[in-house]
Amino acid sequence: MTRLIVYSVVAAVASVAAVHAEPRVVELQGKSPLVTIRLVFTTGAASDPADKPGLASLTAQMLGNAGTKTLTYKQITDALYPMATGIYAYSDKEMTTFVGQTHIDNLEKFYAIMRDAVLNPGWRPEDFTRVRDDQVNALRVSLRGNNDEELGKEVLYNVIYSGHPYGHQDMGTVSALQKLTVADLQAFHHQHYTQANLIIGLAGGYPAGFAARVKKDFATLPEGPADSFTLPQPATLTHNQAMLVEKDTRSVAWSLGFPVALKRGDPDFAALLVAESWLGQHRESGGDLYNRMRELRGLNYGDYAYIEYFPNGMYQFEPDPNIARHQQIFQIWIRPVEPPNAVFALRLAIFELDKLVKHGISGDDFEKTRSFLSKYVNILTKTKSAELGYAIDSAYYGMPEYNQYLKTSLAKLTVDDVNRAVKKYLHADNLQIVGIAKDAAAMKAALVSAATTPIHYNSPKPQDILDEDKTVESWPLNLKPDDVKIVPVASVFEN
Amino acid sequence: MRIFQYLSALSLLASAGHLIAAGKIFPYPYVQEELPNGLRLITVPTDYPNIVSLYIVVGAGSRNEVEPGKTGFAHLFEHLMFRGTAEYPPEKYTATLKTAGAASNAFTSSDLTAFHTTFSKEDLPTVLSMEADRFQHLDYTEAAFKTETLAVLGEYNKNSANPSEQLYETLRSTGFKVHTYSHTTMGFLKDVQAMPEGYLYSREFFSRYYRPEYTTIIVAGDIDPKRVRALIDERWGNWKRGSYKAQIPAEPPQDGPRRAHVDWPSETMPLITVAWRGPAYSDDTMETVALDAIAHLGYDQNSPLYQKLVVEEQKVESMGAEAPGNLDPEFFQVNAHVKDAKDLASVEAQFKATAQAFADKPVEPAKLEALKQHQRYDFALQLDNSESIAATVASYVALRRTPETMNRYYDMYAKLTAADIQRAAKKYLIDKNLDVVTLTTKDGAK
Repeated sequence: MTRLIVYSVVAAVASVAAVHAEPRVVELQGKSPLVTIRLVFTTGAASDPADKPGLASLTAQMLGNAGTKTLTYKQITDALYPMATGIYAYSDKEMTTFVGQTHIDNLEKFYAIMRDAVLNPGWRPEDFTRVRDDQVNALRVSLRGNNDEELGKEVLYNVIYSGHPYGHQDMGTVSALQKLTVADLQAFHHQHYTQANLIIGLAGGYPAGFAARVKKDFATLPEGPADSFTLPQPATLTHNQAMLVEKDTRSVAWSLGFPVALKRGDPDFAALLVAESWLGQHRESGGDLYNRMRELRGLNYGDYAYIEYFPNGMYQFEPDPNIARHQQIFQIWIRPVEPPNAVFALRLAIFELDKLVKHGISGDDFEKTRSFLSKYVNILTKTKSAELGYAIDSAYYGMPEYNQYLKTSLAKLTVDDVNRAVKKYLHADNLQIVGIAKDAAAMKAALVSAATTPIHYNSPKPQDILDEDKTVESWPLNLKPDDVKIVPVASVFEN
Repeated sequence: MRIFQYLSALSLLASAGHLIAAGKIFPYPYVQEELPNGLRLITVPTDYPNIVSLYIVVGAGSRNEVEPGKTGFAHLFEHLMFRGTAEYPPEKYTATLKTAGAASNAFTSSDLTAFHTTFSKEDLPTVLSMEADRFQHLDYTEAAFKTETLAVLGEYNKNSANPSEQLYETLRSTGFKVHTYSHTTMGFLKDVQAMPEGYLYSREFFSRYYRPEYTTIIVAGDIDPKRVRALIDERWGNWKRGSYKAQIPAEPPQDGPRRAHVDWPSETMPLITVAWRGPAYSDDTMETVALDAIAHLGYDQNSPLYQKLVVEEQKVESMGAEAPGNLDPEFFQVNAHVKDAKDLASVEAQFKATAQAFADKPVEPAKLEALKQHQRYDFALQLDNSESIAATVASYVALRRTPETMNRYYDMYAKLTAADIQRAAKKYLIDKNLDVVTLTTKDGAK
């Protein structure tokens, strides 16, 4: 394998600016009658001005879901309808993406609309009001009101990155969104939608010359500069901390984690990915947390672990590409637990993490997990659109094509590499914990109390599980009253 | 083979016009076979390399839960299928899938339970053999059964945070009083909580429905159909046919409009569903496609009503309609997230008026033509990998046990006329069949 070049965080991002003054193009030309266009700008919530959180996201939504200079939103909707397609806009900390897929019959018509959406937005006030309302409602209703698990995960990121450019939800805050104006969006568009920030991705059976034409069209954007993210190291905790979001809900959802100084393309990435997959491969039944918490004890619907951001995990088996970040956290997601067993479930997850950190994984587990990941990567890139997205991410990270990179890295790994990476990057203390709970005061009392929190079963369990439960029910959470904060759900994402 | 003709035609596309509009909708050649025991096999070689996707569809869903107190058992059974056999205890099953790098999961709906696995082609014999074992020799203890019922309760809990789930649950119990569509796939909460006591019933459920005559195996991807058939004969050929036939109670015709309301304990946007009892899925009459056309023409993003309520007046955050497509008569339903509860009545009235307009006057030919084109491209855009192809086939197989029903359905769409649409609206979208459910934050909630 080619030795990967390791950049420091800031240098890696700066290198993009230094090298690319014009749009980069990533092509996966093939025979498929379906053509995917991905326009990725390397800008996002980390570039939001401090007093305007949500600006990058709202700008993207205003381009993707509103009229252009020449067409109203209704005219665009009418034109796209027979093609059965649309423009999907999303933005994360460092990337803003517009993706569309069309049958080749309609490529020219579709491309013209997508191009104008990004290059010549209409900025109509009535579109702005609608798109901004949608974003406010996405925070207040979809995330805060209707989805305890995604809420917990997003609050975890906000708390861990407090005071950091990653420290606000990508969609911003309700109060900031309500103050934004069309002029703010136009200024953001002018400053950040530059050639230096643009990666154009094309996949499918598009005709010869199409890529050159797209590149030429987007060469009308301002040349630069590229966004340069100066990312400080997020604060490291010196002991466990918890935030409880109080909400009237049936059960308790937990998320916990800490910053991990590792990103895709780094030398230890594959090693830590093996550990993550072993502990809690997303939505698969093979993970240790899933097995110990759900299969053996019936605590909930599932439990998983992550070393890269994975929004919408409730609905997706595979992550969206183009949410590349130069800083990541390690995270455990505990799906809702019945309140009487909630603290036990939290303790068990930390206990399992502690076992991993102390003992590592076995040679046999290593082989199975490595085999899984070497093949599963084909599933991650099973669509051309996903393959294209991963290729764009690789261009951003300055690393080889992901599928081959991962297979090659995994082939060279040893179990010792994995266990060394576990010791280096993971720990079962100094955790940030987030819980969504109905009676937060009672939950706080349980978390800080010295009392044990035994699990209650509805069927006989083997002795080794019962013995282990004795350890787990009193596993130290090391939380003092000052370490546990309670916030009412109505205040989350407001300011 | 048609697929090669299809792909080689690409270079001619510029002059070929709307290639997609011609011929059968499903572009892949497939082989459909039936084993002597009643098991059906559908193999679909695709042009996507290396990957194989396996869908095993059991024709039993929450519709088959006929006994009182046993709602949710089809879904519980989906979970129990991962509880192992003598040859493959759960750890071995999971380890084998893990080594194969397989993505594996399952889902249950009203009419079906589907188990799906996507993996590299070299692992096909292993996966087919392991699946054959669990479908024929599933064996789990009462303790394991009880533990799994808790995972199902956990699933209910995670769903319960979403008010749309509660709205849907209420719609079903309002619109159906006799038929098993009166409950959702999750089942009633009280039944989910009582599941731990249902071990013996679960064995009975397995014995009734996990039989070859209820099962269709779909294998799509980088495959040779003859080799797949040989593997199926070898591993699934001895599976014993059953004899059980569920007596699903028929719902009597609705006798007038019904209404229900849900008080939600925390902050949410007001929700409304306006529904009419419709017909069962059909690929040999115009009714299913006619109602589907109304759902799109009346309530999609480019419809006049959507443009008015969402884009211009901005009283509604999102809306959309869904036509019935189940084994038995189900709802034609229109759903909306309304920004302010004071607009609920007006939104309801406009949903009804839009439906009435389809009965009163024929749709414009240009709009119908745009819709037909939309439907064909929409279908084509779904088929972008072997897993999607298998999943698409599976969704239709639950209804008619053959992919040919897709071709028949879209053929009907191609022939659909404004008069067909008018007839369907007059027959189904009438007050007698109406069910309206609303949901708002209860007073005093934070």
